[in-house]
Amino acid sequence: MIVSHNEIVAMVYKAFTGMHREVGEADVIATMVAELQMAGLDGVRHFNNASPYILTESDTPIDIIDQNAKAMHLDLHGSSLACHLPTIIDYALEKMGDSAHFYIYLQNCHNRWLAYSELVGLAAKGYACLAKWDNGSVPKHTLFTLNQGFVYPDLYFFDKAQSNYNTNDMVIEIATQNFDIEHDIQHFDRKISTDELFETHQRAWKEGIYVDDEQWAILKKTAAAILVENSEASSRGAGGV
Amino acid sequence: MNMVYTNNANNKSIDVKPPSLGTGFRTRDVIMDAQRLGAMHQTRISFVRTLLRKIDKEKWTLSTHLWDLDENGYGKVIYRLHTPEHLYHLVVFCNELADEERNDRVIAQKWDVTFGLVFGEISGELLDNLQANVPLQEAGRNSNMLMVLARANKSVRVFDHIVSSLAAGQQPDLDVLAQVGYILRTTAVYGNGKFGIYDFKPLDHSADFDQSFRAQMCAVYLLREFSLDWVDYLAQKKGSSKAVALHPEIKRYLGIGNATGLGMAPYLINHPCVVDQWLTTREEALQATLTCQIEPKETAHFASLIKRAIQHFGEIVTINEQQIKLNETVVTELMVLQNNLMTTINHYVTWAEFLQAHHDLSLESQEVIISCLMELYPERVDAFQEKINADESLSLPKGKVIQDLIDVLERHYQWAINIDFSQPENSHWFWYRSVDKEEPRLGVRGQEMGADRELALDIARQANKLYFALKQVNAQQLISEFILNQPKYRSIARRVWTMGHKQLGDIQMNVLHKDALPMHLLRCKLSMFGATKFDPRSDRWVRITLFQGAPLFAEVHSDEWLFPLLPDLSTEQGGLTHDRIA
Repeated sequence: MIVSHNEIVAMVYKAFTGMHREVGEADVIATMVAELQMAGLDGVRHFNNASPYILTESDTPIDIIDQNAKAMHLDLHGSSLACHLPTIIDYALEKMGDSAHFYIYLQNCHNRWLAYSELVGLAAKGYACLAKWDNGSVPKHTLFTLNQGFVYPDLYFFDKAQSNYNTNDMVIEIATQNFDIEHDIQHFDRKISTDELFETHQRAWKEGIYVDDEQWAILKKTAAAILVENSEASSRGAGGV
Repeated sequence: MNMVYTNNANNKSIDVKPPSLGTGFRTRDVIMDAQRLGAMHQTRISFVRTLLRKIDKEKWTLSTHLWDLDENGYGKVIYRLHTPEHLYHLVVFCNELADEERNDRVIAQKWDVTFGLVFGEISGELLDNLQANVPLQEAGRNSNMLMVLARANKSVRVFDHIVSSLAAGQQPDLDVLAQVGYILRTTAVYGNGKFGIYDFKPLDHSADFDQSFRAQMCAVYLLREFSLDWVDYLAQKKGSSKAVALHPEIKRYLGIGNATGLGMAPYLINHPCVVDQWLTTREEALQATLTCQIEPKETAHFASLIKRAIQHFGEIVTINEQQIKLNETVVTELMVLQNNLMTTINHYVTWAEFLQAHHDLSLESQEVIISCLMELYPERVDAFQEKINADESLSLPKGKVIQDLIDVLERHYQWAINIDFSQPENSHWFWYRSVDKEEPRLGVRGQEMGADRELALDIARQANKLYFALKQVNAQQLISEFILNQPKYRSIARRVWTMGHKQLGDIQMNVLHKDALPMHLLRCKLSMFGATKFDPRSDRWVRITLFQGAPLFAEVHSDEWLFPLLPDLSTEQGGLTHDRIA
């Protein structure tokens, strides 16, 4: 079905709010999902997959395992990245200070695709960004790269695991200069280019955003958790005439 | 091409511009006080007013594209709207409705009229889609070529009276019209992507509808044209050769009603940057007026507007006892002002001094004066009319410490941090959405179900909690580090920091308080739209009129039409009764 950007934002906002978590911001997560969906990258499905885990995962701050002038290592305790990444990015940029390059190593996290809009947001702040993660299924490895001055990243997919990441980890590099990725992308199997993402995004504004019917129904059901059943008192609660 | 960002790689936070409203005549504590917001009136930069000036200036045209109604007035009508930039259509579906099915609340399932504003041409396929879905409103699934989706109910009393009078060859009784002021009353006007329609964001580059709510206001203005055409048509059908058309003065007097409930209040709380932008713009426009020296020509104009205001508030019919008293007070106070104006005006050099000298009047009267003052210098005030949209991002700064955030709270959120939330009256209400079409409702905490699913509209309480959490930690700790340790505060910290650096910031209201009146929020937004004739039906529900007194599309002009008055038909047919200033 075709939905609007505002519908996705409103629906995810309600769905996340209905989870009654202390950690994570409904408006930010709603934007994460909508931006990913507009890019044609299944934002709603990723959020739906995350929802049951978000409901049950620990609702606590993350742990800093280690940090220095060039890098920080964080343990998310199996939490969804969606709930923590904005805070992590804020802190990382502060730690980065005037350095030209900074690494963020994230361990034990889920829903790494939902990082998309936060990573894209780095470009608006004048940074280049590189993110890598392995998956349990094909594609086994994903590389996200966004150069300074660009709004949309290049995405590279690899059918074979590339190296040394656990499948629940993610590495984000932030830099004040563009990355040389020649070596990293030697054996990629598929690519979505910045121009393709730009076109998909523009088309979504013009024609509406495609969402799988079943995924939309799941999201709607999650969002309904915030609604209060009717009662006589409730009917009067609107003050209607 | 997707390169838009200039490379501003840096590690400096971009500080929000510090508040610097022109003359500093009124502080944010005064302007953002909920009671004052709840006394606002239409001004010349209200959305209905700027829309009509735009239509006039750009010479938009309107024609009837399809009139397919049966003799009872049921069927469909399409109007074609041409602007210099594009083509739009208003599609109207008229349905038969039993009296007992007529309900203004969002939970209604049927309406007398459903309508939509369509971007571009209407193909046969699109029309079929609209016909199948627009009458269903929220239950339908509309094309994203639809920019506005809305519905309206008749004021049955006015509708029947007008049609039967005209059919009998007579003009309707003005006393009947004065009770209501409209033929049709909208009960929801949806835009911005609701239920699958066109998002607002792609209109960024539209010269026609790039301002928030302009498309909705336009749809309502065109609906007014339809309502007037509709009664003429039905009178003709009913009375044949005996029938007369509605007098142009009466047509001008009739606007479109609107019934608004609690649903509007969450919008103002959830869009603080928009509210700040609207009210800042309004305040800047006002201050551009206040700095002017008082001259005889403007004084005469002001006096004529006050005179009209006195008549307008004397004519308003409302069932609400409190509003009746407020209107009576306005009439009494403004009559005193008017009687003494020509002598007292000499005591003041600028309009700022004049307004300041009247700060002891009721808020309603003060706001009437403000609306009148803003009419005196169109060239100054209209310069602000485009400054309506806002960047809605709420963000935290880099390089700032806890003390910086505490400073913002202590400077701009005293109204929140001074509240003792351990007292039950300060968190008496909770807001929630019902399963009934997600209608926003209020419940009493501890007495009604649903507090576990409370909406996060408690800005005062959140800011209060943030303040006391910040006071517990090292004042020199980085904000980002505090948030990493206590991420639950990030959302309210973003809001406090951003709004604290805006010109006016958050509305200063604890919406949980036992005596909090959501009506104030409704009134604020409706006055920005350009509503008149506030008729509260309860403390959570209000009826208003839009475009009452406005020129008809065929005669649209850029002159002012503040404070609609009942026409005086004893004058020559078609004669103007407003002392319009050319």
